[in-house]
Amino acid sequence: MPPEKLVPLDPTIHSRVRLAVLSILISVKEANFSYLKETIGTTDGNLSANLTKLEEVGFISVKKSFVGKRPMTTCAITEKGRKAFSKYLKALEGLLHFKKK
Amino acid sequence: MNETQVKEEIRFIKDMIERTRRIAAGSWMFLLVWGIVAILAVACMYVLVALEKYSWIWVNWIVFVGIGIVFSLVYGRKLERAHGARTYPQVATRHVCIACGMAFMLVGFLFPILNLYSWGLIAILISLIAGILVFSLGGIYEWNLLKWCGAIWWLGALGMVFVHENYRALLFVPLILIGYIMPALVLRSMYRKERDKNAS
Repeated sequence: MPPEKLVPLDPTIHSRVRLAVLSILISVKEANFSYLKETIGTTDGNLSANLTKLEEVGFISVKKSFVGKRPMTTCAITEKGRKAFSKYLKALEGLLHFKKK
Repeated sequence: MNETQVKEEIRFIKDMIERTRRIAAGSWMFLLVWGIVAILAVACMYVLVALEKYSWIWVNWIVFVGIGIVFSLVYGRKLERAHGARTYPQVATRHVCIACGMAFMLVGFLFPILNLYSWGLIAILISLIAGILVFSLGGIYEWNLLKWCGAIWWLGALGMVFVHENYRALLFVPLILIGYIMPALVLRSMYRKERDKNAS
């Protein structure tokens, strides 16, 4: 593959936490904040900042609700996020083939 | 980005996806409870047949299937809350359980009451639906043992055709043990092993 045909990696996804969030959300219908935090192994503040970034670009939807008196944040991937993630995977694949050659 | 970094990135994505797959293993409880509900319903049905209280059979099914549906709804929600994520297999399992529960109810309660067929057919039709339930779960979790259990239910339904209707319910016992309880216990053991492995 010629280098000019390589798709650049989306900088929004190209971060450890944001990539982890999208990888998890692509395989579930929805996940709550605690689950994401525990699975990724990050801090509240870091996850919160990255979720805001992903929500701002429209890759995920964030729903805030209450379970009893406890607030609950639930995230789900959007169609735009799904497409962006798939494009990111293709870009990685292209990069891998290019490096092999 | 060099080749090692790209490979590491792909491995990281796979690892994250794999972690969410582990949640699905906790769904064995659905099978176990539906198996127990079915055993109790069949036992009661057999007692009703022995007492020649045929007109009460539909009450028996509506009570036990109702318990199963309420359990599927409540436990499904509890499972989602406990895990913090709702996976597609979980959503599918819940819907298949509720759909089959509704079918059990119609077949065991509404249709016989409308005199569409005799009570003796209930056992055959229930086995057919149980086969659909177990086979579908086998497909959702990509587990061949469950698919075979589904096929055993269908064979059982076929076998019941050749048994006198008073004794058809008895055939349920081995079918429930093989088709519900056994795979539920195997799933539970797999889930516990996985959980212990993750904990260590």
